[in-house]
Amino acid sequence: MVAQDTSTSRVALIGNPNTGKSTLFGALVGVHQHVANYPGVTVEKKTGWMTCGGRRCEVIDLPGLYSLAARSRDEMVAVDVLLGRQDGVGPPDAVVAIVDACNLQRNFYLLSQVLEMGLPMVLAVNMSDLAAGRGIVLDLKGLAERLGVGVVALQANRGVGVPEVKTALDEAIRRGPLRPPELWPAAFEQEVTRLERTLAVGSAKPQAAQAAGAKPQAAQAALPRYLVRRLLLDTDGYVQRALLPDADGRVVRELQVGRERLAEAGCPAPAVETAARYDWAQRVLEGVLTEPGRYRLTATDRIDRWLTHRLWGTLVFALVMFLVFQAVFVGAQPAKWGIDWATGRLAGRLADTMPEGALRSLLAEGIVGGVGSVVAFLPQILILFFFIAVLEDCGYMARAAYLMDRLMSRVGLSGRSFIPMLSSFACAVPGIMAARVIANERDRLTTIAVMPLLTCSARLPIYALLIAAFIPGTSWLGGLVGLQGLTLAALYALGIVAAVAAALVLKRTILRGRTPPFLLELPSYKWPSARTACHRVTERGWIFLRDAGTLILAVAVLVWAAAYYPHDHRAVEPLLGQQEDLRVRLAGLGPQDPRRQEGMEEMARLQNQIAAAYQRNSYLGRLGRTIEPVVKPLGWDWRIGCCVLASLPAREIVVATLGVVYGVGQDAKGQPAEAAGRLQSRLRAARWEGTDRPVFTLPVALSLLVFYTLCMQCAATLAVMRRETNSWRWPIFVFSYMTALAYVAALGTYQVSNVLGTLRVP
Amino acid sequence: MHHPRSIPLEELQAGQRARISRIAGHPDHVHRLEEFGLRGGTRIEMFRPGNPCILRVGGNKVCLRANELLEVQVLLLPPGD
Repeated sequence: MVAQDTSTSRVALIGNPNTGKSTLFGALVGVHQHVANYPGVTVEKKTGWMTCGGRRCEVIDLPGLYSLAARSRDEMVAVDVLLGRQDGVGPPDAVVAIVDACNLQRNFYLLSQVLEMGLPMVLAVNMSDLAAGRGIVLDLKGLAERLGVGVVALQANRGVGVPEVKTALDEAIRRGPLRPPELWPAAFEQEVTRLERTLAVGSAKPQAAQAAGAKPQAAQAALPRYLVRRLLLDTDGYVQRALLPDADGRVVRELQVGRERLAEAGCPAPAVETAARYDWAQRVLEGVLTEPGRYRLTATDRIDRWLTHRLWGTLVFALVMFLVFQAVFVGAQPAKWGIDWATGRLAGRLADTMPEGALRSLLAEGIVGGVGSVVAFLPQILILFFFIAVLEDCGYMARAAYLMDRLMSRVGLSGRSFIPMLSSFACAVPGIMAARVIANERDRLTTIAVMPLLTCSARLPIYALLIAAFIPGTSWLGGLVGLQGLTLAALYALGIVAAVAAALVLKRTILRGRTPPFLLELPSYKWPSARTACHRVTERGWIFLRDAGTLILAVAVLVWAAAYYPHDHRAVEPLLGQQEDLRVRLAGLGPQDPRRQEGMEEMARLQNQIAAAYQRNSYLGRLGRTIEPVVKPLGWDWRIGCCVLASLPAREIVVATLGVVYGVGQDAKGQPAEAAGRLQSRLRAARWEGTDRPVFTLPVALSLLVFYTLCMQCAATLAVMRRETNSWRWPIFVFSYMTALAYVAALGTYQVSNVLGTLRVP
Repeated sequence: MHHPRSIPLEELQAGQRARISRIAGHPDHVHRLEEFGLRGGTRIEMFRPGNPCILRVGGNKVCLRANELLEVQVLLLPPGD
C-alpha cells in the first residue's frame, strides 16, 4: 500500500503449536497487528507489516498446525494461503518455518510438507537455548547445507535471532523458489499422475458451464499436485468434499481403485505419507542432530508431578478457577455499576434537555439503553479473557484440559471444552470465543450450542427479584440451609443438567461422528507475558464491540420502536388531563406545603400509569395481548408475555420492563435496595386485569424462573455465535431449541406445581 | 526381562519406559497419532497412566486419550537402558 508494488512482499509464518510462532510474529511486526477471519471460514487471519532488507513485507501468521493434511478448516486455509488459492493474491514470496529445537523429528514432518510447496524459505530453530540445556546438539550449518535453506537459531521470547531471520528472509526471496525434496515412493507418484489425468478429463465439462455464465474460479483450473496427493491420502474424504464437492462417481471410484493399487504396491494411504516424511526427517537429521540417550526430568516435569496429580492437581485447579471467578466478580461488579450509573445519568440528561417526543425516547431509551447493554458486558469479558490468555500463555491450560478430560469425555466432549464452558457461568460470550481452542469441529460446535444453557451472571438479577419476592424465606439447621438458597442452587443445577443433556443429544444426532483420539501437547511452563495477555484482551474486546455491538444496538432499537409506536395520545387523554390538573395544583403550593410531598407521589404514579397505557397500546403491547393464549398455559398474563418479548436483546432487561409494566417506574433517584423492595411488593400486588386474582403466584414465579434459566434471550451471544460459526444457521438453531426447551419446561413447572399446590391446600 | 514383550500401552506403569511397537485402528486416527509424533519406534516414558494418560516423548510431554478402536502396543525397555 505504502511502498511500490515491486518492493512489497508477502511472508507466511508457519509451525507446530507451542513453538513460539506467535512470539516470533509479535517480534517481527510489533504491535500493529490486524486480526480478521479468512473469507468464508472462522479461521483467524493475523497479519502485520515489517521492513526487511529495504522492502515492506506483509507477514501472515498461519494457524499452529501439526500437519498440512488439509483435513480441517485450519489446515485447508494454511494450504490455500501457501498455494496462493486464498484472496486471489498468489502464493507468498517466502515462508518462515519455525521449529522447536527440542522436538525436531516431529516438527520436521510439517517442514517436509512446507518444503513440498517449493517456496523460498527460512528455517527458524526456536528454543535453541532450552535444547542445549537438555543435551541436544544441533549442527545448524550442516542442517542448512542439507536443506538448502537459511537456518537461524532463535530465542523468540528474548528477541535473539530476530534480525537474522529478516536478513535470511531477504536472501531467500532473492534466491527464489526451492527444489522440493524427493520423498515419495515411485509407485505413489505414478498414482498421483494417473489421478491428475483423470481429473483433467473431468474438468472439461465444468469449463463449458463456466462459459454459460458460472463464476470463473481458480478452483476450476487444474488442482496443484500437492492437493492431488492430498486427495489420495485423505481416506476420510474431507479433502474430496472440500475440493471436489460435486465430483461424479467416476472420480470417487478412481480414488478408491487408486488407493487399492497403492495398498497392493506396499504403500497404503495414508501410512505411506508418515513413513516417507519421517524417513526423510531421519535422513536429514542423521549426523546433524545428537540427542541425549535419556532425557532428564525438567523443572516442568517436577511441577507436573503436582499439577497433574489426581488429587492435588484437581485441588489446585479448583483454587485457580475460584480465584478467576472471584476476580471477575470483584473486578467487573464496580465497573458494571459505573456503566449502569453513567448510562442512567446520560439518559437523565437527555430527558432533561430535550423536548419530549420520539427522538428523545429513541436516544434515551433505545440508543443509550442499547449501548449500555453492550458495554455492560465488557468488564466481565475483558477480565475473563485476560485470565484465559494468561493461563494459555504459561502452559497451564493444557493441564486443566488433561484434568477435566475424564469428566468431559463422559458427555462425548474433550477436556478442551471445559474452560470455555466454565467461562459461560460468567458470560457465554467469552466462552464461545474461547471455544476456538477446541480442535475437533464437532466438539467445538457442540460446546458452543450448549454453553448458553449454563447460568450466566445476567440471569442473577432476575433470580434475585423473583426468588426474594415469591419463594418463602423458610430455613433449616439454624439458618444454614434456606429455601431461597436451595432454589438458586436448583436453577444452576437445572442449567448444567440441561447443557449435559443437550450435549449428549447433539453428539448422538446432528453432530454424530467417529471421535478421533484426543491428543494434546503439554508445553513447558513459562512466565506469562503481560504484553501478550493485554494484547489478546484488547483484540478480543474490540472484536466483541465491533461484531456483536452493532447487532445488539440494532435489536435494542427495534424493541424500543415496538414498545414506543404508535404512541397514540387518545388512549392516555384522560390521564394527561389529570396530570395537567395536578401540575397546576402543585404550582399553587408553596415549597414547604405538607401537601406537596403527597402531590409529587401522585404525579409519579400518574406518570407511570401514562407510560403503562402507552405501552399497552404499543405494537409490543398489542403483540403481547395477541400471544396471550400462548403464554397463558405457563400461568402468565399478557403483561408478562410483553416483558419477555421486550427482553429479547438481553434477558436482564426484563427486570426493568416489569417495573414499567407493573407501575413502579424506572425511578433513577431511589436507592437500588428500596426500588427492588418496591418492585417486589408491586409484583405481589399485581392482579389479572378485571379480576382480583393475583398474577404472580408461586407456580407463576417458578415457571418464569425456569423459563429464564433455559431461554436464549441474549443478542450478544447470538451475534458472537454467528461470528464464530460463520453462519446464521447455528444461532437460529440454538435460539429455537432453547426457546422451545424453556417453553416446555416452564409449562411443565407451572402445571405440575399448580397441581401440587391444590393437593396441599384442600 | 531380557526379551522385551509387547504389551498394551494401558499396562505401562508410571516411570516405565518403552518403545512403541505397533499402532492399530482406524487408518485416519493412526495417521493423526503419527503426525503428532507417536509412531512405531518412538521411545516413550509413562508419566501419568490412565485414560487419558500423559507420556514423555523425548524431552516433551503429551496427553493421549485413545478411543475404543485404537490400540497402541509397546515393548517394555529395561530400566537401565
